[in-house]
Amino acid sequence: MTGDSHYDLEILAELAEGLLDDVTALEVRSHLAICDACGESLAGLAAVRELLAAVPMTAMPLGVAMRIDRALEAEAERGGLRLVEEPDWDEIMKDSPWEQPAEPVAEPIVEPAAAQVIELAPLAARRKRPRRSWAMPITAAAAAAVVFGGVGLATQLVASGSGESSGVQVAGPAVSPDKTPLKTAESWAVRASGHNYTSRELNGPLLGYFGPEPGTGSNSDEQTDKCVARKANELDRQPIAVDRAFYNGQDATIMAFWEDKTINAVRVVVVGSNCRSLRPEGLATWN
Amino acid sequence: MLSDADLLTRHIAGDTTAFSEIVKRHRDRMWAVALRTLGDPDEAADAVQDAFVSAYRKAESFRGDAAVTTWLHRIVVNACLDRMRRKSVRPVADDELIEAAERDMPMPDQTAEREVSLEVTAALKLLPPDQRAALVLVDMMGYSVEDAAAVLDVPSGTVKSRCARGRAKLAPILSHLRNRSDLTRVSSPKGAELRDG
Repeated sequence: MTGDSHYDLEILAELAEGLLDDVTALEVRSHLAICDACGESLAGLAAVRELLAAVPMTAMPLGVAMRIDRALEAEAERGGLRLVEEPDWDEIMKDSPWEQPAEPVAEPIVEPAAAQVIELAPLAARRKRPRRSWAMPITAAAAAAVVFGGVGLATQLVASGSGESSGVQVAGPAVSPDKTPLKTAESWAVRASGHNYTSRELNGPLLGYFGPEPGTGSNSDEQTDKCVARKANELDRQPIAVDRAFYNGQDATIMAFWEDKTINAVRVVVVGSNCRSLRPEGLATWN
Repeated sequence: MLSDADLLTRHIAGDTTAFSEIVKRHRDRMWAVALRTLGDPDEAADAVQDAFVSAYRKAESFRGDAAVTTWLHRIVVNACLDRMRRKSVRPVADDELIEAAERDMPMPDQTAEREVSLEVTAALKLLPPDQRAALVLVDMMGYSVEDAAAVLDVPSGTVKSRCARGRAKLAPILSHLRNRSDLTRVSSPKGAELRDG
């Protein structure tokens, strides 16, 4: 309280905000009941809120907006963000190691019905964007065992180059025991649902399509494997699911990649024959 | 329409148009926050530009545990506070606040709205940065104490305390504007509308 037996503005403001303890608040309220001056001060505090709220909002001036746009454009150029327009990867990658004929390797032994999903070794460790290196540090060929719907079918994903090997991860006891298990990595499951996806369906949720059903059987081939590997490399991550199916009536391979697991977001890539995009990459929910 | 979070995710994935859409959606309210906090259009323009560029660069740090708008507000407010603190020399005494406000009195021929804006802006500039930022968010932009606390990354009680002390300092300075029949509450509903999308 001030020398004139009035409460100062800060105490009154704290009362208005409910910041005072119960005892002090009761004292101040009792005083307010008999003190017009303090009542006026309290009203003055409320008026401050009204005055602040009365200041009109103004839109950002066009000049400032343009300046910010230019700054962000410059930032994009410096940061090397990806292009929305997809480059011709077939042309760019034609000389890549994995596009060359591979040295023959022993096919992994796959027990029929031993595994239910295809698991392919990752082609490259996740790299920090925007640098994208296509060199495949693989000396020995890496093979991937492929099993669809209980019928064993192995395809090989072969890459050659120099450096350390990349391993094969096969579900079930199918890998030759003399192969040292290499770096554990994410793998993807290829299904062949035969479902004719619409654009709307590909906005998710996708789990129902890529989940245990309706994926039954497939006739995947090396071309599909290469395409999936290429997309995985472009996005610097492994797909969580791949479905050989249809998109608006066309043969299509649908790939789903985690975009942000915390918000249940996946990136959906749809390609047709020759690994050409049939639909712009989009985001979808997973479940 | 894609959500802010979807746009940010697309931006992180390399979509060059996604961040522009975020900027388009939120630039007016970010401008309002910066202009009111800094009280100077040139400073506000610099702060908002710095903030958007910073958000562009560190988009991957956004984890989705808060709304994108909260995250953007935080970056803008921090850019403003940094500017204010760099310029801040010493706290201003209450009598200096009143003198300064009287010095900055608007011309009598200005419209009521502009008059209030100028006086409030001049008065706000005399508050410590933390109190100013809290009052801008809560009283001027109409955000809840909880939302403001999330933006400022402080407890709700701290926001309330900063608002209380700020209002106590502003009350004598702006007392002559009380009971103006031509003043209407403009910002809070607008702020709520913007906040709620």
